[in-house]
Amino acid sequence: MEILKTSALSIGYENKTVVSDINVTLNEGDIIALVGPNGAGKSTLFKTFSTHIKPVGGMIELFGKNLMSYSPKERARLLGIVLTERPDDMFLKVFDVVATGRYPYTGMFGKLSENDENEINVSLELVGVNHLIDRVFNTLSDGEKQKVMIAKAIAQNTPVIMLDEPTAFLDYPSKIELFSLLKKLAKEQKKAILFSSHDLELLLRYTDNLWIIAKNQPFACGQSSELLKNGIIKQYFGLKDADNQYLMNEIKY
Amino acid sequence: MKNSKIVIGIAGIILLGIVLFVLNLFVGSVMVPIEDIFKVLLKENTDNTLSVIIFNYRLPQALTALLAGAALAVAGLLMQTLFRNPLADPSMLGISSGASLGVGIVILLTGAISGAAVSSFGWWSTIGVSLAAFIGAVLVLFVMLAFSSRMKNMTTLIIIGLMIAYLAGSITDILKFFSLKEDIHAFVIWGMGSFSGVGTSKIAIFAISIIIGLIAIFFLSKNLNILLLGEMYAENLGINIKRNSVIIILISGYLTAIVTAYCGPIAFVGLAMPHIARFLFKSSDHRLLIPATMLIGMDMALFCNLIARMPGFDGNLPINAVTAFIGAPVVISVIMKSKK
Repeated sequence: MEILKTSALSIGYENKTVVSDINVTLNEGDIIALVGPNGAGKSTLFKTFSTHIKPVGGMIELFGKNLMSYSPKERARLLGIVLTERPDDMFLKVFDVVATGRYPYTGMFGKLSENDENEINVSLELVGVNHLIDRVFNTLSDGEKQKVMIAKAIAQNTPVIMLDEPTAFLDYPSKIELFSLLKKLAKEQKKAILFSSHDLELLLRYTDNLWIIAKNQPFACGQSSELLKNGIIKQYFGLKDADNQYLMNEIKY
Repeated sequence: MKNSKIVIGIAGIILLGIVLFVLNLFVGSVMVPIEDIFKVLLKENTDNTLSVIIFNYRLPQALTALLAGAALAVAGLLMQTLFRNPLADPSMLGISSGASLGVGIVILLTGAISGAAVSSFGWWSTIGVSLAAFIGAVLVLFVMLAFSSRMKNMTTLIIIGLMIAYLAGSITDILKFFSLKEDIHAFVIWGMGSFSGVGTSKIAIFAISIIIGLIAIFFLSKNLNILLLGEMYAENLGINIKRNSVIIILISGYLTAIVTAYCGPIAFVGLAMPHIARFLFKSSDHRLLIPATMLIGMDMALFCNLIARMPGFDGNLPINAVTAFIGAPVVISVIMKSKK
């Protein structure tokens, strides 16, 4: 099922278009990696999808309706984000962080119902950090923090989750673990997942589809293996022949 | 923290507040024995001097301290959460500086137009100074609101607030340069802060204005909790960032403006009290922090007022000297703890 669709989307800031003519769709159960060098516009695309900034041109449809026409409250129940930014408060507990994911569903004073508390526990369990529930968020490791933020997005119970560089600051095993977690969410929870990353080799191995943003080149998207075979990745990342061959051999198994 | 501990903590703070409140009625240049205080309050004692001291001076002063303390402390909490900065306080909005500017303008204009010092106008001068402070504070508040309704970046906003404060401060200094000597003295006294300026005639309107603001803050607790995650997350969770910061600045600015108009620019209560609340309850939940900060602010203001009025300081010691004396060590210990 088609969840999010862009047509002739241009992103950027008031006087400066960063990327133009983006035509992509995000379907239920999709897990898509957004790649590209720093400064090419990955964060700008995330900010546009999360409506922090307005599109410069074109259209974003969420469930067939213009993304900008939803109220902030409605949008909060449809699209959840995980950023590289982390809350920095001396007493904020893991439970409190994940509980914010339930706020779009609570009343004026944010009182959590039994169902809300249940959702919080389930989300923490799903990412495997329920033992951290009473810890102060600030005292966690980078990997644990990342998981808690993902639990927040799961508790938010949105059909779309977008993650900005979720593998940054993680060690190798944690990266692999994170990829399989995202895959599990996409397959079991039928969520549409978009995330950005620099770990090209891992992406080619663990994700099916890529969106590529590069400076001065058109926006590209497609199956990871196709993009590798037809030389798009080589071209966009300026890879040498040997490196490209290495990647193609890696992907085979 | 367990609920029972929270209840005990809150009860303790309230109890301390009651004790401090009674002490405020009792202690001063004239000591009123405790049983006489109750007799006067219950109208059993008709000794005129005592009832004048208590009803006309000490009771309104204690109530002013109570309300001003709660208002400034909770305004500080709002600022710290909005700007996600442990050193934020209501003065960062430039409101105190705006109030000072208002007072400065009135003092200079009276001097220039009538050739006489403001202080020579007696009762009118106190009303004039309060009004001028309020107008100055509200004008700066509107400037800040105009900026905040256009801006999502809190760091930019905090810098604008500080710059407005400096600007207002420098204009005030220029005005002071041209003012009469007697008025500069009046200005300096106003700037030291005092809870005695409200008095019986104005305590009701002061109390109502403050209480309206305090009640409004309870409706912000959910949004403040979400703001702890940062603006981008808060926005994604359905909060309209610009509108939210306008509301927060409006309410804390309103409270600060009223308190500053009546009591002068009182420092450190807004900065230090929220930290005491956080450390005492080890919480960042605003549903607890809002009432806790208000209550601690009340206690602190009553305590400072008591110290300022201790026998020996027969005039009133400036409140700002006392709040800074207690507030500064608190702020230092917080910084040491959070940036270890």
